[in-house]
Amino acid sequence: MSQPSSAAQVADEVRRIISPADLEAYRRELLTKNDPNAPKVIVCCGTGCQASGSLDVIDAMKKAVAEAGWEGKVVPRVKRTGCHGFCSRGPLVVIEPMDLFYQQVSVDDVEEIVKTTLIGGEPIKRLLYKPPDSKEPVQRVAEIPFYSKQSRIVLKNIGKIDPFNIEDALTHGAYQALAKCLSSMGPRQVIDEVMNSKLRGRGGAGFPTGLKWDSCARVEGTRYVICNADEGDPGAFMDRSLLEGDPHSVLEGMAISAFAVGSNRGYIYCRAEYPLAVRTLTAAIKQAEAMGLLGDNIMGTDFSFKLTVSTGAGAFVCGESSALMSSLEGKVGRPRPKYIRSVEKGFRDSPSNLNNVETFANIPDIIFKGADWFKSYGTERSAGTKVFALTGNVHNVGLVEVPMGSSLREIVYGIGGGIPNKRELKAVQTGGPSGGCIPIPAKFLDINVGFGKLAEVGSMMGSGGMIVMDEDTCMVEVSRYFINFLVEESCGQCSPCREGLTRMLEILTRITQGEGREGDIQLLQEIGTFTNSFSLCGLGTSAANPVLSTIRWFPEEYEAHIREKKCPSGVCKKLFHYEIQAETCTGCGLCRRKCPVQAISGEKKKAHSIDQSLCIKCMECYKNCKFKAIKVL
Amino acid sequence: MKIIMDGNEVAATSGQTILEVARANGVRIPTLCHNDALEPAAMCRLCTVEVDEGRGPRLVTACNYPLRRDAQVFTNSERVRAGRKLIIEMLYTRCRGSELLEELGREYGADFTRFAPNDKQCIMCGLCARVCERVGGKTLTLSGRGVEITVATAFDRASEFCIACGACARICPVQTIKMIDEDGERRILVQGREASRVKLIECVSCGKRFGPVLDLKEINERAGDSKVPPPNQGVCPECSRRNLAARMAERHFEQFETGEEG
Repeated sequence: MSQPSSAAQVADEVRRIISPADLEAYRRELLTKNDPNAPKVIVCCGTGCQASGSLDVIDAMKKAVAEAGWEGKVVPRVKRTGCHGFCSRGPLVVIEPMDLFYQQVSVDDVEEIVKTTLIGGEPIKRLLYKPPDSKEPVQRVAEIPFYSKQSRIVLKNIGKIDPFNIEDALTHGAYQALAKCLSSMGPRQVIDEVMNSKLRGRGGAGFPTGLKWDSCARVEGTRYVICNADEGDPGAFMDRSLLEGDPHSVLEGMAISAFAVGSNRGYIYCRAEYPLAVRTLTAAIKQAEAMGLLGDNIMGTDFSFKLTVSTGAGAFVCGESSALMSSLEGKVGRPRPKYIRSVEKGFRDSPSNLNNVETFANIPDIIFKGADWFKSYGTERSAGTKVFALTGNVHNVGLVEVPMGSSLREIVYGIGGGIPNKRELKAVQTGGPSGGCIPIPAKFLDINVGFGKLAEVGSMMGSGGMIVMDEDTCMVEVSRYFINFLVEESCGQCSPCREGLTRMLEILTRITQGEGREGDIQLLQEIGTFTNSFSLCGLGTSAANPVLSTIRWFPEEYEAHIREKKCPSGVCKKLFHYEIQAETCTGCGLCRRKCPVQAISGEKKKAHSIDQSLCIKCMECYKNCKFKAIKVL
Repeated sequence: MKIIMDGNEVAATSGQTILEVARANGVRIPTLCHNDALEPAAMCRLCTVEVDEGRGPRLVTACNYPLRRDAQVFTNSERVRAGRKLIIEMLYTRCRGSELLEELGREYGADFTRFAPNDKQCIMCGLCARVCERVGGKTLTLSGRGVEITVATAFDRASEFCIACGACARICPVQTIKMIDEDGERRILVQGREASRVKLIECVSCGKRFGPVLDLKEINERAGDSKVPPPNQGVCPECSRRNLAARMAERHFEQFETGEEG
């Protein structure tokens, strides 16, 4: 397997950029050398595709391309890129300039791709993507609804550039915005442009970025620019994909921020569980420094900005700004008990500007194309786009970028392709463990996803996790799951969060086990409201959201668990059993064959039945029955 | 700056915490994790009050919230009392029998039967760890996270850095940390576990065992070459006083004998 080492990728003779104008000259030089329409084989090497074996695919592809006879044809370049976003279909291979999209490619397919497609110019039908509702495969990337319905501005280069090759990034316009700042803008102008763009922090709270920069610039002292890359929400991987796929956009955003607030020292606090992101970042910084795009005297000017990657030690709470800064200082990562903003006293008690990965990645385009261009996306109050990690019971699991204010319907059905297995959509959970569940179909399918609207329905934007839940999801169990996560991840220092979460988990656990008591719902609400208002940090003050929002929108499910000792969704094992409806059962025998404990019996073409004493409630029969003959009772 | 506390205007200077202002004006705000000698930690949250600085009331902790502009403070509102009641009830499950919590419980109408006990004998106020850090003992810290957080020594072993000053035992509001002097040794016990065991020094003058060896060494080092005479090493405070008095008396009489003073 080939893992490019950072050292090997720094070219022997590094071209140092000596002025902002020199960058543009070099970019043109690179463009004339590399024809953008030259044939390319792009292999996604994001973490998801790597897990499905893409590194073997790219190795095999390189070998096959090198060995094939090209007879005067241009030999295609085999290129590794970051995450294309369509993770459920990996490993992904894109053939350019035909824009062919191959999915679930294995090493065995490589030879055929070279022969049939690269040399023969014909697509291979079986590797093409077939949308869930159609029998005809789609050839081109641009025609796949998952991609065509997105507005990719932050993710624009991901899947196009090789993250380990700075020259590739430069041909796609990296560092142009920084050059613009250094040649024709003052720090004040940069801050004004960001303020005018109405960009709001993408980490979850949605604080106006320009305002933060402005406050930071006004405080005297050694200023720091810090990037929060401690993405920890279960199921969320927006930041990881950015760091792995287009690290220079984040580095450039940070450098622009440093230029604007007057800082020359920056840190990226990245979670250690993202080894590929750490490696990509480290290589990117090294390459940028060697070219004079970061480090001392950037592009020959007197602006210097030194960047270091620092890794966390696995605590979710370190994504909270003050805990992050404590951890960065080498102390225990616990939130600080201080009523002072980190732009005034943050890292090392100095003014610190902390932004999220996605926020920084938005900056270069805002500066280069202008605030008005940025505002053409999104709504009046929430400008730009937002990247979501779409997961759960949806056809197309992956990374999607949509304008702020897009409706849930567009995301779940338009891009996500709807709910698999003929199930109904029940709820969408946004905002990670601190967020809430938005009930559907009530009336919220057309709700606009933006900071304000989500808060109104008791959820939040959060960093961008979006979990789609179908009718087989038990909301009590969902809330128990998130509280269980938080019990382990709370830092434990303040009593409302530590004790409140412990007690809520205790109550939720007993409800899901059929031991719920009358009054438990009120008690959960009492503790939840208390925890949310008395805790010290952002984790604690949103910790009860999963409980409060599910009680608010699904009270009948709690009541069924407590009063009737029933789990209507068939999740809490002690509270339901399966029964085969004799009138709908066709006796096809599928369930009998699928049952791992031989609990189902019945003659062919006659109604089957389940032996309840043997049934382990694994759901296999229920999931596989084509006639919906198995009921949860 | 105009501060109205529970309806009365009170004297306050900018930057003072709500707790400082309350105490100076005779308003009682309960605390568990606060000590005037230490930086506020805002961990117990019992001192939470409502403050309105013109943008509506919000909950803040009195121990570390600095007043800098006109504000109305409600130290005992319904919301505040409801929260305090829950804090007391929940902390009591960790530490049943604590008189301090029982008394607070009576004040706030706590119902100690609502939650099942889990007897950790510690309310996790963190005072011991903070005073240890302040004194320079480098022994006790808050270890682990979430529900698992505990007061612990490094690797849960008796610490070799403990100077056995006993500040942790003295500051513990629920008497979970014990300091026992016996058989010429001082032992510090945290929730029954030995945090340190240090030899007590024998007074060279009277022979009584009076203080931990390391503590004295630490004090001597800290006093250093300051003008204050270092405590007589190896002499107990009683003997030290007696010896000093004897020396003074001696000098006094010497003066008469040599006739230096008129």
